[in-house]
Amino acid sequence: MEIADLITPTAVIPNLRATSKKQALQDLAKRAAELTGLHERAVFDVLLERERLGTTGVGNGIAIPHGKLPSLERLHGLFARCERPINFESIDEQPVDLIFLLLAPESAGADHLKALARVSRLLRDKGVCEKLRGTDNGDALYALLTESPASRAA
Amino acid sequence: MSLAVLVLSGLVAASIFSSLLSFRIGAPLLLVFLGVGLLAGEDGLGGITFNDAGTAYLVASTALAVVLFDSGFHTSIKSVRLAALPALSMATLGVVVTAAVVAVPAHYLLSLSWTEGLLLGAIVASTDAAAVFFLLRVGGITVRDRVRSVLEIESGSNDPMAIFLTVVLVHFLADRSIHTGFGLFVILELAREFGLGLLGGAAGGALIVQAVNRLGIERSLLPIAALSLALMVYAATTLVGGSGFLAVYIAGLVAGNSRLVAPDTLRRFQDGALWLAQIAMFLTLGLLATPSEFPPLILSALAIAAVLILVARPLAAWVALLPFRMKSNETAFISWVGLRGAVSILLALLPIMSGLEQGRLLFNITFLVVMVSLAVQGWTIRPVARWLGQIVPRRLGPVQRMELEVPGARHELVSYRIVADALVARGHRMPRWAEPSLVVRDGRSLLAHAAGVLRPGDTVYLFAKPERVPHLDRLFASSAPAAEGDHRFFGDFPIDPMARMGELTLMYGLPVPDEAADVTVAQYLEWMLGAPPGIGDRIGIGEVELIVRALTPEDTIAEIGLAAEPTRIDTPRLPLFPNGREVRQKIKRWLRR
Repeated sequence: MEIADLITPTAVIPNLRATSKKQALQDLAKRAAELTGLHERAVFDVLLERERLGTTGVGNGIAIPHGKLPSLERLHGLFARCERPINFESIDEQPVDLIFLLLAPESAGADHLKALARVSRLLRDKGVCEKLRGTDNGDALYALLTESPASRAA
Repeated sequence: MSLAVLVLSGLVAASIFSSLLSFRIGAPLLLVFLGVGLLAGEDGLGGITFNDAGTAYLVASTALAVVLFDSGFHTSIKSVRLAALPALSMATLGVVVTAAVVAVPAHYLLSLSWTEGLLLGAIVASTDAAAVFFLLRVGGITVRDRVRSVLEIESGSNDPMAIFLTVVLVHFLADRSIHTGFGLFVILELAREFGLGLLGGAAGGALIVQAVNRLGIERSLLPIAALSLALMVYAATTLVGGSGFLAVYIAGLVAGNSRLVAPDTLRRFQDGALWLAQIAMFLTLGLLATPSEFPPLILSALAIAAVLILVARPLAAWVALLPFRMKSNETAFISWVGLRGAVSILLALLPIMSGLEQGRLLFNITFLVVMVSLAVQGWTIRPVARWLGQIVPRRLGPVQRMELEVPGARHELVSYRIVADALVARGHRMPRWAEPSLVVRDGRSLLAHAAGVLRPGDTVYLFAKPERVPHLDRLFASSAPAAEGDHRFFGDFPIDPMARMGELTLMYGLPVPDEAADVTVAQYLEWMLGAPPGIGDRIGIGEVELIVRALTPEDTIAEIGLAAEPTRIDTPRLPLFPNGREVRQKIKRWLRR
């Protein structure tokens, strides 16, 4: 599973203008709805439901909200870089400025987990996060996200 | 007379100063103390001739009593609950297995009789409480609860068993006339020593608590009172024929886990006393040794140490831990942290004092084996712990905190110095229960409302209940973003412990039985672990892992992490050490074929 299998250049938001967690999730749900043809409300509800299990603010300024939707056909990713860090009730209480949203079809058990693991592995990399924070150009962000691990190591 | 004082104090000071060196080059500190003793001794620079085994035994065994009291004092009842049975199995069965295995190379390499070989085995069979404690606590690493507890309790409680075996064997070798009924004699002796030791320890511990709490002794005398009572418990139990070392350990355990009027005062003094006792023990034993006798023995000592470290200890740990559901990595780590120390050298004095023919040889071999063990295991404990996934990564950056107990209050006075990148310095609000009482800024004392927003460099004083201090730490710690490996250890996603398993299962498509759907995640995790939870404990469900991130003060699960892929932290690193259950399963599978 590669990041390129999850997102397209149009699914990158270089400057999300949200001031709260709720607003950020709403904006992301709206964008996801545009991309997938789903109902905005349905996406938002699924994300909120997941947040009730525990925050997806995993620390170090990163959040990976995710959820499953029955009417989805494949995995969809969405990346946003916040203009101003927002309080995401993160585990380390640090505000969040990098968000990777992941939506999976109801049936995608193993793939959903694989994609989650892939995304969290990517954003665990401090070097990558630093570079993502360093640009607000959508294409550059997309390139950084989808760079293969091998080329990053070089 | 003044010369003696000068020499003694000089030696202690030299040991302490050499500890600086030890921290710099990372050499095991206790080995350094031993080295100072050797250097000051008859074959070293100091040229001090000290050959009085009796005096050395007296000094070192008194020091050992202090060390054991302190070990008990610092062992929490929680550790006891977590690890008492496996630790006791290690301390008894483990000691016997170690002694028996070491007897083999001793018999063949040193041409000792089997009994003498067994005696050497018994001498080196006990792990050193001081060395183990020191490496597990002061080493700057946090070892996972269960393994740490097993090691600490084992090291504190296996001395009596090793001492008993040694005494019995020396007795047997020195006076061979007691052949008839010797077995029965040994068993009765064992029962009496341990029975009286337990009893004396429990009674003595209770006595110490009462004396400290009730008598209204001047505060600065309290720790001295406690320590002298502890030594009395040791000596009195020994005099009536019980195991004084067991008694003093138990007394420490009882006292340390009771409510005391000035726990911090006692603890601080204990720490100092522990250091002094360790220095005294290692110095004395180092002084007593005659290194010029070592060279011809080095090869055989190395071989025996190798057997001890690589065969005897792992075998003993495996056998003793079979009935407990230990993980392969846990048993492997316990095998490796079998540090030998002053206790073994102390026990090696007994054959000399009883005039055994091989006494000197046993002492020299023991000395060398201890040095090898301290060097090899002491130096490698950190990388090995990391490799075996036994280190709990730190989740906070350094905190500059001071705590002061407030007599008679359930609160304590806590002070923090504010660092630039702490949450509070960046405008994070303080919880209402943590109103600062005083803020010291640029040498001026300000009341909280006058100080306004806290700035880096301020020192804050506030009253808080001790159990809330960890929460405060989070606000005042300098942010040390979790390293990548640490993130892996705890899992990426925090999961609400009170969430239902059903919701989690639905979200991630996990193979969990339907009847678990209404159980909370915490309950499920506790149930699957089957033992009191420790930080870092984990279970695999399908492709995900659930991980205990933090515990409440009552030791229930407070925070849970979920890893979206297996972390492999608990994957066995060595194809050894299956526990009893795994062995049974293997046999069953094998029989079915």
